[in-house]
Amino acid sequence: MKPQFSLGIDLGTSNSAVAIADFDGSQPRIVEIPQILAPNQLGELPALASALYIPHPQEFTTSAMQPPWAESRGEIIGHFAREHGALVPDRLVSSAKSWLSNPLVDARQAILPWASSIAEPKLSPLECSRQYLSHLKNGFLHAEAAEGRIWDLSECQIVLTVPASFTEVARELTHEAAVAAGLGDVVLLEEPQAAFYAWTAQAGKDWKSQVRPGDVVLVCDVGGGTADFSLIAIAENAGDLAVERISVGEHLLLGGDNMDLALAYTLRQQLEDAGQNIDDWQFLALIHAAQSAKVTLFSQADLPAVPVTIPSRGSSLFAKNLATTLDRTRLEEVVLDGFFEMTPVHEMPLESASTALQEFGLPYASDAVLSKHLARFLTRSLQNVKASESLSNLVGAQPDALAGPYLKPSAILFNGGVFKAEAVRQRVLDLLASWNAGTPIRALIGDEPDLAVAKGAALYGRNRATGTGIRIKSGTARSYYIGLQSSMPAVPGFKPPVKALCVVPQGMEEGSECLIEGQEFGLVTGKPASFRFFSSEIRSGDLPGQVLPNAERELEEISRIEVNLPLVSGMAEGQVIPVKVNPIVTELGNLELWLKHTASEQRWKVEFQVRMD
Amino acid sequence: MHPFIRTSAAVILLLNCVQLVPAGREFSPQIAGVSALLAAGMLAASFAGKRSSPAAKPAAAEALMPAAAKITADGTKHAEAVTLLGIFQEKGRLVDFLMDDIAPYTDAQVGSVVRAVHQGCKAALQEHFTIQPVASEPEGALITIPAGYPADEFRLVGNLSGQAPFHGKLVHKGWKVASAKLPRTLKADENRLPTIAAAEVEIS
Repeated sequence: MKPQFSLGIDLGTSNSAVAIADFDGSQPRIVEIPQILAPNQLGELPALASALYIPHPQEFTTSAMQPPWAESRGEIIGHFAREHGALVPDRLVSSAKSWLSNPLVDARQAILPWASSIAEPKLSPLECSRQYLSHLKNGFLHAEAAEGRIWDLSECQIVLTVPASFTEVARELTHEAAVAAGLGDVVLLEEPQAAFYAWTAQAGKDWKSQVRPGDVVLVCDVGGGTADFSLIAIAENAGDLAVERISVGEHLLLGGDNMDLALAYTLRQQLEDAGQNIDDWQFLALIHAAQSAKVTLFSQADLPAVPVTIPSRGSSLFAKNLATTLDRTRLEEVVLDGFFEMTPVHEMPLESASTALQEFGLPYASDAVLSKHLARFLTRSLQNVKASESLSNLVGAQPDALAGPYLKPSAILFNGGVFKAEAVRQRVLDLLASWNAGTPIRALIGDEPDLAVAKGAALYGRNRATGTGIRIKSGTARSYYIGLQSSMPAVPGFKPPVKALCVVPQGMEEGSECLIEGQEFGLVTGKPASFRFFSSEIRSGDLPGQVLPNAERELEEISRIEVNLPLVSGMAEGQVIPVKVNPIVTELGNLELWLKHTASEQRWKVEFQVRMD
Repeated sequence: MHPFIRTSAAVILLLNCVQLVPAGREFSPQIAGVSALLAAGMLAASFAGKRSSPAAKPAAAEALMPAAAKITADGTKHAEAVTLLGIFQEKGRLVDFLMDDIAPYTDAQVGSVVRAVHQGCKAALQEHFTIQPVASEPEGALITIPAGYPADEFRLVGNLSGQAPFHGKLVHKGWKVASAKLPRTLKADENRLPTIAAAEVEIS
């Protein structure tokens, strides 16, 4: 059925949101999502906390915890799950989304809550994502029905956002979760692109006058749990503006939650210096208090300090009330200098000394200074753009964009809750100006940085379905490679390098496919075949069929791919069948790898598996 | 009258009486804050009353119920008022504060507690209600009340005679709710009111 409206879903690491766009040209609108606020209380909030709580069987009355549409298993999702789960951490799943992009973990295995010893069945990262999406879908329908608006999702273009840093493996898992949640074949959109669409909608007709051909826009998206960067180039095409995404960043687990935590640690130190000790519960309260003190100080520039009070846990507020103050100097020291230090552009994030010693779990960023991660992104972006002639031409329109050690953006669009604070935006502008010999870059003014992604996604859905409005040219954000065993004589103590065959170039567009010539693989009937799978976000110049000499040095290993060749009629078991790699990017933007029989039209689809180390 | 409104009115009255005593005046800002919150609660309670349409409950199970949690014909209304009280307790520890005896504590102690209560209750208030002053002029200004003014929004006191428009000094700017967004009770128990705050037990 032809879509009649579009829905944008921002499935965030810490918070999720839904926006709807009618096809009548009106602005996308956020739909507040009903969720459990307390036992027996259901209410709407603009965002759904991406938190899932697995209650003890005797903990709550089931009916007190189930929204009207609930499935029967009893998990609690949203605001109350996060608040209550903070006090019962063994039962709380948070950051499920980040587990989807962890190459060392099978996202289909029931492993969450991570490192928890509860007796109840655990959930897989995929299942958690499915539950969030299902809650968002049902919550949307329920909230709209309560206002007298009945929507039929079969008439809907659904757009689901993912970090630009997600690899194809994580994207496919997200897509799978959406299908399982009953959302059908959704279109995936990178979050920074969604933020850009939201900005065009909000700037209205005026947006074309705020950017000009040759501009390189840095979309700087720092949410609760993750930071995600992208560069978008503006060019001219037949008298109109053409917009192209030219570079994406790496997956970075660092965001606003880290800042609140750092502030809470600072305040705890202040309290301890004053001879007051706090327990775990009070520390959680302190994180909340630090967060609201931060918001107050950042929003009222003339306040020198804000008192922070942690009420005692018992019913008498006077018994053991802890009080301290957060002053502006301290706040700036922790948030601005701690996370947005004025580092030089050549200073890169510190890698952790030994990954072997790192506790196994989510790969949190080991260096908390976002400035350095931004420097690394812009430096790698330059490398990426220089690798391809067409990207170089696109960016080269701006004088000396390619000179110097990093790719200079000429404008910046902020997104994510962290940038609600003017002081933080200003610090990033100062940082970029300091890298640019003091010349400031323009800030594009967006609004509601925490809800823009959902709105932008809804708008993109409308543009896509109606064929009107702008479209950012993007294609695959990364290039993909299959590992090839080198045929070299065995030498003790020497591991031959793994070569890599490029099977998908960066920027491969929706609705296209190709056949990799020159490299055949032999599949054995009745046996599964497995390959190593690599990717890179900075090799825009690699062409399909190109072979790189050393995959482990140049590329990032993201998964294993496996194809299970059934017995083919007319061929004996164990017979070797020659195949070529046949990559396809579907109309919806999903990447599929097929292995195609060289002598016939038969082909077999390759599945992504967890990387085995 | 609604019991929550009645209780709240009594508390406000009490708090205002405290201000008549010289020692109590030092708490004026705090008392004003708490009074305002309670007043908002009353507003909400009356609002909740308008929203819901409870079915009449037979009084058969009454004997089984503890007296404090007895639900009468308008049980849902009461449940929603208690829920609202629970919100102010959860976010701002309002019930803890009001149920405590503050007499033995110093002003500094009370002040520090009130900051926490104020911050939490204000956040709760703003989350669930959009509150606006009735009159936009500064207090103390001379204003004109036109004919046909909404009688529930202005209370005229003093030398009231003749016909509108009335002229007078704005003593209190008044408060009204532009919009309210309250959580709904998922399943109202016919036999007992909800808990304001659950007793908390840490399992080690």
